[in-house]
This record gives sequence, structure tokens and C-alpha cells, in this order.
Amino acid sequence: MIILFVALPLVVAGILPLVGKVSRRVVPDLLANAALLFLLVYAAITGRHLIAGGPVLQQLSWFGEPVAIRLALDGFSLLMLLAIALVGLAACLFSIDYMEHYGAKANYYALFLVMIAGMNGLVLATDLFNVYLFMEVAAVASYALVAFGLGRDELEAAFKYLLLSVVATAFILISVAVIFGMTGSLDFAAVAKALQELNAGAAVGVASAFFLMGFGLKAALIPFHAWLPDAHPSAPAPISAVLSGLLIKVSGVYAMTRIFLNVFGLTPALSTVLMSLGALSMVVAAFLALGQKDMKRMLAYSSISQVGYVVLGIGIGTPLGIAGGLFHLFNHALAKGLLFLTSGSVQQATGTRDLDEMGGLAKRMPITAATNLVGALSIAGVPPLNGFWSKLIIIIALVQSGHPVFAVIAVLTSVLTLWYYLLMQRKAFFGKLNEKWAAVKEAPFWMTAATVFLALLCVGIGILFSSTVTTWIQPAADVLADGVHAVIGSWGF
Amino acid sequence: MTPKMLLLPILLPAALAVVLLVIPRTLRLVRNALALAGAAVLLYYGFVFFALKDLRFNVPWLGMGIDFDLRLYHFSSFILLALAGFLILITLYSTVKMKDAPRAREFFAYVFLTAAFANGAVLANNFVPLVFFWEGLLVTLYGLITIGGRPTSGRTAVKALLISGFCDFSMILGIGLLWTVSGTLTMSQVSVEPTGLAAVAFVLMMIGAAGKAGAMPFHTWIPDAAVDAPVTFMAFLPAAFEKLLGIYLLARISLDFFKLRPGSGLSVLLMVLGAVTIVLAVLMALVQKDLKRLLSYHAVSQVGYMILGIGTAVPFGIAGGLFHMINHAMYKCGLFLSAGSVEHRTGTTELKKLGGLRKEMPLTAFGFTVCALAISGVWPLNGFVSKEMVFHGALESGYTVFAIAAWVGAIFTFASFLKAGHSVFFGERTREIPAVKESQPAIVVPILVLAALCILFGVYNKLPLTLFIQPILAGHVEAGAHLDFTSHALDIFNPVALISIGCLVLAFLLHRHGFLKSGRKPYLASEPVHNLPVVHKLYDLAEARVFDPYEQGVKVLHGLSLVLYKAVDRPIDFVFEKVVTVAGEKFTAILRKAHNGHYANYLAWCLAGLIIVAGAISLLAK
Repeated sequence: MIILFVALPLVVAGILPLVGKVSRRVVPDLLANAALLFLLVYAAITGRHLIAGGPVLQQLSWFGEPVAIRLALDGFSLLMLLAIALVGLAACLFSIDYMEHYGAKANYYALFLVMIAGMNGLVLATDLFNVYLFMEVAAVASYALVAFGLGRDELEAAFKYLLLSVVATAFILISVAVIFGMTGSLDFAAVAKALQELNAGAAVGVASAFFLMGFGLKAALIPFHAWLPDAHPSAPAPISAVLSGLLIKVSGVYAMTRIFLNVFGLTPALSTVLMSLGALSMVVAAFLALGQKDMKRMLAYSSISQVGYVVLGIGIGTPLGIAGGLFHLFNHALAKGLLFLTSGSVQQATGTRDLDEMGGLAKRMPITAATNLVGALSIAGVPPLNGFWSKLIIIIALVQSGHPVFAVIAVLTSVLTLWYYLLMQRKAFFGKLNEKWAAVKEAPFWMTAATVFLALLCVGIGILFSSTVTTWIQPAADVLADGVHAVIGSWGF
Repeated sequence: MTPKMLLLPILLPAALAVVLLVIPRTLRLVRNALALAGAAVLLYYGFVFFALKDLRFNVPWLGMGIDFDLRLYHFSSFILLALAGFLILITLYSTVKMKDAPRAREFFAYVFLTAAFANGAVLANNFVPLVFFWEGLLVTLYGLITIGGRPTSGRTAVKALLISGFCDFSMILGIGLLWTVSGTLTMSQVSVEPTGLAAVAFVLMMIGAAGKAGAMPFHTWIPDAAVDAPVTFMAFLPAAFEKLLGIYLLARISLDFFKLRPGSGLSVLLMVLGAVTIVLAVLMALVQKDLKRLLSYHAVSQVGYMILGIGTAVPFGIAGGLFHMINHAMYKCGLFLSAGSVEHRTGTTELKKLGGLRKEMPLTAFGFTVCALAISGVWPLNGFVSKEMVFHGALESGYTVFAIAAWVGAIFTFASFLKAGHSVFFGERTREIPAVKESQPAIVVPILVLAALCILFGVYNKLPLTLFIQPILAGHVEAGAHLDFTSHALDIFNPVALISIGCLVLAFLLHRHGFLKSGRKPYLASEPVHNLPVVHKLYDLAEARVFDPYEQGVKVLHGLSLVLYKAVDRPIDFVFEKVVTVAGEKFTAILRKAHNGHYANYLAWCLAGLIIVAGAISLLAK
């Protein structure tokens, strides 16, 4: 029942506004978290049994009639589902306390679940139009969530986000139209097969460029990134966590990877362009992060930089590179989710996001400071945390595939990363306590619990990295490393 | 008596140390009783082992020829007995003297731990256990000095640790070299000719042994410790234990491990080391104004006689050196304990403030006098006998100059003790110190026991010489050689003895001259020597620690680290601190300026990116 991944959050999202009329807090809290907990358990425990015999495909039908929606689950999708469920659950737990003062909790959870449903659907989609469709579902929910605070900045950011996203989806739609025109089909397998026979280089090149711009915008690769540093910090903290941790990866990196590797096939030209874009994002965004005074903006730029790593790793195209890229995607989802949550704790406790105004908060918020440190060190790639291993795999893959220059850039960027994260940790948590915050208290229970949950995952995966890679990452990387054949050969009914 | 009994002298004090550490302050009586009982048991077994003389305990340990190998034979049983004897005296003394010390528990624990390590080092018959026990002594050395509790105690403890550590390090290097040369780590099997690599090994191991005994230039922590550490510690380690251990090892090195030949280069090297130590240290001792510091310099100076004696490599000289070792341990221990007794009652050991204490503290005064006369080599005390033997040995080796150096040392030794004794116990009673009583029996008894032993070993020198010293040399003298030291005319009517007595007379005249010249102030009696034109400058430099290799080494290292800091570290730091960060910040500023928040701007980037990407794909695809 793959459809549950999409249907359950959609159904709960539909019920929630009605329930909200009766119970303003407790029942929405329970329902939303239960739905996400179920998704997590379903993905983590049942998921691997489902795909034990190869990818599974589910044809949706309406009163016995098959409709044009088919969902498929393979190793790559499952990894993404797991990441979505983990970060989604953490963000949802965090919301229990954090969203108290925003009001309209039921509506918030409904939007949140619609976004989750959109992402899950995108991950399971098997044709190009469904990719566009679910991407818009998730995106529309996210516009509303960015603007959820209804302040001036939030609205401006949401509007800017909307306008640039629309450009992205427009180009994606054009590209889908071009492909449909050439092949007469939208299904991944059929398109892949047709393209192999057609051998139409120029048109595919144009479509690739359009896809690259569209998904690049969604993934916030430089130079398509400018919306992200406005949009992500403006949203409520749990939404920032989901946007930065999941949405840019699902609607950007996942879609891009799926189409380029499994449908178009990764040509050397595409590989070079992807790696260059990844390296550029990595370096430029790291420098931009260094210059930020706003904690969440720094995190947002850091997301751009880390997505650069992921794209660089996947762009190599070798099995090890893909595995490293996917592992980093997973690790970054956890760590960046964690960091946005801790920044939310800090913002709620102090009312500011300005790093210069903070200082010494570790004395008042020891758990938040510790979890923040775990997340920061994980992204910076300090052993034995999870981020270290994925970066190491990417760098090894770069060297093995004969790209020593990119490898050096990756290493130097991780130094830059460590630099701005230590800057953040020192300015916010270490040093002398700013007297303004003498009365600050540790974050409430659920907020702390959510960050501790993610921090423990970061540490645990770092220590058990080899078993994580063999259980979750390798099946996903295998699907991608098989290239076009994975789609053509194995979409069994 | 099973071989396992050899573990007793190591395990018993170690276990006792742990117990003593945990007994609370309030149970002081129990602590004292336990410590004394333990020391008594050790002394009893010291006698038992001495009578037994031959026992071996050997279990495989780390492989590679590294066994836990303990061997009891004549020499080690003699040192073991001596260690046990000093331990019980020091323990008895400490029960009163350290009663109210703030870290008394630690003190007792360290003392017994030291005893455990020292016994282990003496019994070890494999170099690796030897090094293990030898290094263990460093820990307690450090701990005991810090118990002094003065502001500079920590610094002195570090100094002692570093100097001893350096000496031990060279000893380990020497042992490593010796291992490669001899191919075995079992001490009783090693016997090599000191040539080539083995000569280097000899010098390195000699540094280790001489450093432990406190010879120059590894002595500089001892005078500092005299002020900073408890006086009981001085009587315990630098005066007794370390001399016994260091000279024991030096004798093993020159007698067993290496075949040291009379007149060889290494023999001369040892004699030079001994002679220099005798003369320089005694000159420093002469001008000291504090009794404890004065005694500490003598503790250095007297090592010179032992090293000189062993360095002669002739049987008579070696026997003299070894006899001097046990004699020195007795009278120097007695002297430090007397100084401690004075300090216990008057609260000071400054010569200027003391005077005429013989009436109030007659027993301490008696003990001090006997020991002082013994160290000065006055007939018929033990110091006279062993010094005579060293003089004879030096002359026999053919290097008269070393005998002369030893005699010069004797002059100033007596002169400085005339000054010390005169200042503290004789002369006029000063008014600065209120009326005092004689110290408690637990303090006086050890002093008197040591004084009595000094007399016994002097008058009946046949007894210790035949009982303790002579068997050590068995097997090391060529067959048929003369081995009867006692018949070697150790009476006062021979030229050597007459010269020695002449030296004593000279010393008396020197003291009298200084005493009268300084206006009958005994503590200024050394001023005429002190104020000699060039000598005065040298003394000032010495007091400023210019000749202290440790202090100078520390200065050099400070300078070196400063140079490295300024020339290497700062420039590198500048690159990171200024060049990299400023460049990074500049670049960041440029990038930030580009992000001006205009939607059109951002859209333009996207379109430009699209064109570039499309161009790149089409270009690369061809």
C-alpha cells in the first residue's frame, strides 16, 4: 500500500481544520504527530520488506478503472521517504510547543501535512507530469507556511519565493511539454526507452537545460538561489527545518537526479555541468554564510552550500560518488533540520536572530547549545559525526574518478564551513552571557526532545555509518548507478 | 623461605601506603602504630634476608627476555637492610615531626611507596623492572616535595622531577644500548668491556646513577628542596635513600655490568666528576646562611667522595666509596634530623637567629656534634675511615690531583661544620628565640641511634667492613690480590692520615680567623673566604643561579620558544588571522552586495544561468 504515503497525510490534512473547530490544541497535535509517526514506522520497518524483491509499482484506480497515476517504490524513493518521515516528525514534535503563540494550529498542521504529502508523492511518482503536480502541491503549501507569521517580512519573502518558484515550474513544464512532444509519453520508462531510440541530441539538450534551471531553482543552486535566504529564515522554525532539510532536496535534487540519471541518462556533458554547479554553490554560498549576522540566514546559505556537495557527489556519476551524494543528502537533512530547530528555540527564548546580540546562551540553554553543536559539527564534517563520513565518501569518489581539483575545493569548503559554524556557536552559545538574557530558560520539553532526537540520530549514524550505508544508502545508489536501465528494465507491475 | 618472600619488601610497603592514605586524621595513633609496625617488619625481614643472602624469584612477564626477576644476593641484601633501617628511623621521627603537617596522610603514604619502589629497584635483576621501580620513585619525589607547602614548592618539585627525569631518561637510553651490546636484559648476566658503543652506554647509565645520587651538575634541585620541602623528606630521600640507590647502581655499573679498569678514560671521567662535585659543592656549602641549605650542599659534596672512590676502580677505593655511602647516609640523615629537631622547637634554621642551644637541647646538640665530626672526617669516627680509604684509593690509582681535591674538600667541610655547629649549638644564646625544650623522644632517639652507629662504625670499622663491604668486592679482585682492608693501616700514624689531620687543623684555623675577624659572630666565620676578590663574584653568580644548568636551560628554552613564537608562529597566525580572514571577508562583502533584494536582479541571474547552462551542455555535447 504505497498510496498510504500520500493518502494518509492528505486525509489527515483534510480532517484537521474540522477538528480544529472542536479542539484547538491537543487533538491536532496528536493527529499530526501520529500521522507522521505512522509514516516513519511504515517507511522504516515495512518499506524494506516491500522492495525486497525489487521495486514495486501501484496503479491507482477509480471505481475499478485505472487512472493515470502510478506510484512506484524503489531504494532511492525509500531513502527519501525515510528522510521525510524523520525530519517531518522532528519538526512536527517541535511544533507542539513552538506553534503555541502563532495560533491556528490545526490549519498549520493541515498545511504541513499537505506539504509532506506532496513530497511523498513526488518521491513516488513515475511520470513527468506527476512530478510537476506533486511539486506544486508541496510548493503551494510551503508558500502559505512561509507566510504563516503574516508579518511584513514573511509576506515579502513568501511572495518572492512564489514568483521565482513559478518561473522554475514554468520552465519545468515547458521541458515536460518538449519531452512529451518528442516521445508522446510522460512515463519515465516509456520516455527513457523512446529517447534511446530517438537519438535526438539537441532537443534533449534544451530540455536538460530547462530542467536544470527549474530544478536548480528548486534546489537553490547558485545562481538560482536568491529566493532561499529570504524564504527560509522567514518561515516558522519547524517549517524552515522542513524547507531546508527536505523540500529543496525532494523537489530539487531528487527530481533532478531521478530524471537525469534514470530517464535521460547521465552524459559526460551533464555530469560536468552538474559538478560545476555543485562546486560553485558550495564555495560561493559558504562565503555568503560567513558574512551573515542572522542565525537563520547563515543556516540558509549553509543549505545552499551543502546542496552543492550533494549535487557534486551525484554529478560524478560513479557508484561511490552517488552513494556519497545520497548519504550527504540524508545527513544534511537531519543536521540542517536540527540546526533550524535549535535556532527556533533560541529565537523563541530571546526574540532575536541576530548573532551579535546573543552570547553565552549555553549557560542558560545547555541542551540546545549541545544539540546545536552536534548539528554544526556534523555539517562541518567533524568525525565521528555522520557528515564527516558522507563528505569523506564524496571526496574519495572525486579523487578516484580523477577530479582532484574538485576534491581540494570540497576539502577547503569544509574548512570554511567549520569556520562559520564555529563563529555561530561561539557568538550564540559560548563566551560571556549577555546580561539581557539572564532570565532566559531552556526550551520547552517537546522542542528540546525534537532536537535531542535529531542530535542522537546524527551521532548514532556517525558511529554506525557503515551499517546505515549498506541498509539504506546502497540500495538507493544502486538504483541510480544502474542508470536508465533501472527504469526501463524493472518497473514491473 | 620461598622465593616468593622476595615480594614482601615490595608489596608490604605498597599495601601499607594505600592503607595509610585512607586512615582518617583522627585515627593518628592507629596510623603511627601501623607505620611503625610495618617498618619494623621490614627491618626484621631485612635482617632475615641479610642472613639468607641468596634467593631468586623469576616469573616470565612481557616476553622478549623481559622477566619479573628479583635477585637477593649479598649487595642487594645489604642495601635492603640499610633502607629498612632508615625507613624505621624516619617513620619514628615523622610520627612527631609530621604530626600536624597539613598533608601528613599523603606524606606517610609516599614514604612507604618510596620504600616499596626502592626495595623493588634494589632487588630487580632485570633492567625493565629496575626502570619501572626507578621511575616510580619520581612520582613520590614530586609528591613529597610539594608537601612542603611553600609557594615555591611546586616549582621546586617540577625542577626535581625534570632533572631526575632527564637522568633517568639517559639511564634508559644507556640500558637500551647495553641491551644491544650484551643481548640480554638479565642484570646478573651482563658483563661487557666498556669500549665503543658500550662506553656510551656506560656514560649514559652513569648519568642516571650519579643523577639519582645527586652529583653535580644534577644537584641543583636539592638546595632548593632543602628550603621548600619538609626537612624529614631531606633526611629521607636526598640524604639516605637516593644516595644508597644511586651509589648502589653506580657500583653495579662499574663493577658488574662494565669491567671498569683502573686508569682507563672512563675511570678518570668518574674521578673528575667526583672531584669537581666535592670541591664546588663544599665551597657553596661554606657560605650558606641557613642550616638546611648548608646541609643540602654537603649532601651533594659527599657524593663526590663516593663517586671518586668508585671511580678509582682499585678495590681499596671502591670499598672506600661504598663504605662512605653507608656512613654518609647515617650522619647526613642524623644531621638533617637534628636540623629538623632545632626547627621543630625554634621554628627556624637560619644560622643568624640561632645560637647556644646546647644547654636547652643537649641530646640534639650531642647527636649533631657527633654526626658533624663524622662528616668532617675526625678520628675515630666512621667518616674518617671511609675518607681515608678514598684518599688511599685515589693515591693508589696514580692521580694525586684527585686526592688533593678530596683533601681540599675535607678542609672546607670541617670549616663549614665548625661554623654551623658553632652558630647553632655553641656561642652565645640569641634573644630572638624564646626559651625552648629538648625535642620529644621520637625525634631525639633516631638522631642518637644514628650518632651511635657513626661511632660504632668508626671505632669498630672492622665490623662493617668485613660484614658489609668486603663481600661486595668478592670476585671483582684479581686472584691473590690483597683484600684485607682492615689491616691497611687505618690508624692515624701514616702519611695520608697525617695530611688529613693537617687539613682539619687548617680548617680550624680558618674558622677561628673568620670568627675573630667578624667580631665573634660564628655565622659570619666564612666571610673571609666569601669575600676573596674573584671568589665573591663567582659566589654572587652562583647564588643568582647562573651556574644552574636547569635554570639556564629553562631560560634558553624560554628564549627559543619566544623566537619560535615571533618568527614562526606569529607569521603563520598572521596568514590565517589577517590574510585569510580579510580576504574571505572582502569576498563575502562583494557577494553580499550583489544580493540587494531586487526580484528583477535575481530573475536575471536565473536567466543568465540558464543561458550559460544551455551553452555549456551544447558545447560539451559536441
